[in-house]
Amino acid sequence: MAILYVRAAPTTDLNRNTEWFTYPGVWSTYILILFFSWLMVLSVFACSPGMAWTVVHLSHFFVTYQFFHWKKGTPFAEDQGIYNRLTWWEQIDSGQQLTRNRKFLTVVPIVLYLIASHTTDYQHPMLFFNTVAVFVLVVAKFPHMHKVRIFGINADQ
Amino acid sequence: MITIPYITALTTYFSYGLLFAFGQLRDFFRKIFDWWSKSSLQGYAPICLGLEDFYVRRLYLRIQDCFNRPISSSPDAWFDLVERISNDNNKTLKRTTKVKRCLNLGSYNYLGFAAADEYCTPRAIETLKNFAPSSCSTRVDGGTTTLHVELEKCVANFLGKEAAIVFGMGYATNSAILPVLMGKGRLIISDSLNHNSIVNGARGSGATIRVFQHNTPSHLEKVLREQIAEGQPRTHRPWKKIMVVVEGIYSMEGELCQLPEIAYVYLDEAHSIGAVGKTGRGVCELLGVDTADVDIMMGTFTKSFGSCGGYIAGSKELIQYLKYTCPAHLYATSISPPAAEQIISSIKVVNGEDGSSRGAQKLAKIRENSNFFRSELQKMGFEVLGDNDSPVMPIMLYNPAKIPAFSRECLKRNVAVVTVAFPATPLLLARARICISAAHSREDLVKALEVMSEVGDMVGIKYFPAEPEKQQLEGDRVKLE
Repeated sequence: MAILYVRAAPTTDLNRNTEWFTYPGVWSTYILILFFSWLMVLSVFACSPGMAWTVVHLSHFFVTYQFFHWKKGTPFAEDQGIYNRLTWWEQIDSGQQLTRNRKFLTVVPIVLYLIASHTTDYQHPMLFFNTVAVFVLVVAKFPHMHKVRIFGINADQ
Repeated sequence: MITIPYITALTTYFSYGLLFAFGQLRDFFRKIFDWWSKSSLQGYAPICLGLEDFYVRRLYLRIQDCFNRPISSSPDAWFDLVERISNDNNKTLKRTTKVKRCLNLGSYNYLGFAAADEYCTPRAIETLKNFAPSSCSTRVDGGTTTLHVELEKCVANFLGKEAAIVFGMGYATNSAILPVLMGKGRLIISDSLNHNSIVNGARGSGATIRVFQHNTPSHLEKVLREQIAEGQPRTHRPWKKIMVVVEGIYSMEGELCQLPEIAYVYLDEAHSIGAVGKTGRGVCELLGVDTADVDIMMGTFTKSFGSCGGYIAGSKELIQYLKYTCPAHLYATSISPPAAEQIISSIKVVNGEDGSSRGAQKLAKIRENSNFFRSELQKMGFEVLGDNDSPVMPIMLYNPAKIPAFSRECLKRNVAVVTVAFPATPLLLARARICISAAHSREDLVKALEVMSEVGDMVGIKYFPAEPEKQQLEGDRVKLE
């Protein structure tokens, strides 16, 4: 079997917290992790596929909200805290809006929402929770929401 | 350009994701634990933010025994490594009294001056007796001895520049010079993989910094055109000064910069001076660039000359200006006299002025060693970065689990290697960095190759297909006949 090689071009992003997202293979890894977590939920809970997708969608919401839009700064100290006021979403691509990476990350929760709603046949209460989740995530990723802290939630002192 | 198998990229991201998830889980339980048990440090502020040292606590400490290994001899081709043990899963390490003799593949000992040398060491000891271990003063006060003057002349002659200025520390050279040369209203264009000292100096100068893609002169040209056309941010006035900062050999990549194509240049030759070029004069000689074309040449004495300190070489006016303004010259203690003598002696050996041909032999040896080692590794199927003739060769590991595996397995077989991971390198591109020295003999290199081949098979880092050996082909031909 031939090995598929990809070339990793060096980036100009100096922020070590976000430059890993510019290398090849990240999007595929993200999609594969979501797919395998669906399989794991199905095998652990033995529920219907629709419920499994809803569980995946909601846990994806919690995890990505926490790490993309809530936690600020970087997990290492070498950059001396210049990104301490920015969430990960505000840091990627050096703050440029509407890049390919950002568009991809906005589309993923929407696609998950569509799959989850379709496989549960648009029944309540799953539909309500799914809609709230996708609404919060997509609004958080709008270009107008860059560095905006509504009602001072998650702002610094 | 690094070529990585796609599956390896996927598994590397997945491994880091898993490590990250487990780290977060452990932090979560630690928070609950700490909230439950009363802390004895009431009223004290925390030293660092909890999330800032997440990487150190949850990822680095797991494989802490692969870094910071103490040695108890001089870093020659073979050295004595002190063994350490840990009772709490690598959170703390304790030194034992056991010592292991290992092959040293990690020191920047390019010309072999790190251990006692027959010409340099007696002279350095003589200087230690005549002068003192430290000059105990800054250059302007009382720290300029005859040695310092001779050293600066020696360095300027060696590089073919008009004058040079020498500092006690290589890192401080970069971080103290850049703020002096550049300031507000000026532009620094630096390679994306420049060393931390350059980044710190550039940030401290207050100049605007733009980064261009590593070793891509076309991108540099694009950035230059854009910046010259746009001018300063907000006011759009033309820039007062523009400087391009590149390195001779990049320490993590082992590549040479594309010097002939870049033109106001600051060249940091920390790794390349003394090690490349026919007579050891660095990348300028290797790439055929006239030293008059490079405006400012910077380098250190720690790598090839077996000493400490850094230098800047340039025109007489530049050096005179630096002597009036540079804080490392005015306020920092001057370079230690025995260290200066070591540099002078080692430059004399490299030039052949000590009356023997050892300098030329060393230079030929390191080139031969590097090329042999690199070609053998590539034949075995490893992914080795770096250009030909460069004594620094990183071997790509990628997966986070292979970093400690490679390091520990090599150590078990008495070969000491340096592994580098995030955040010194990009997340995906963890590597083991081999530094070849003129002090390595051919047997040492062959042993190292055997060990690496064995460990490479065990750990699974031969990402490229190995080339078949020539003897097998000839054997088949004989059988056919």
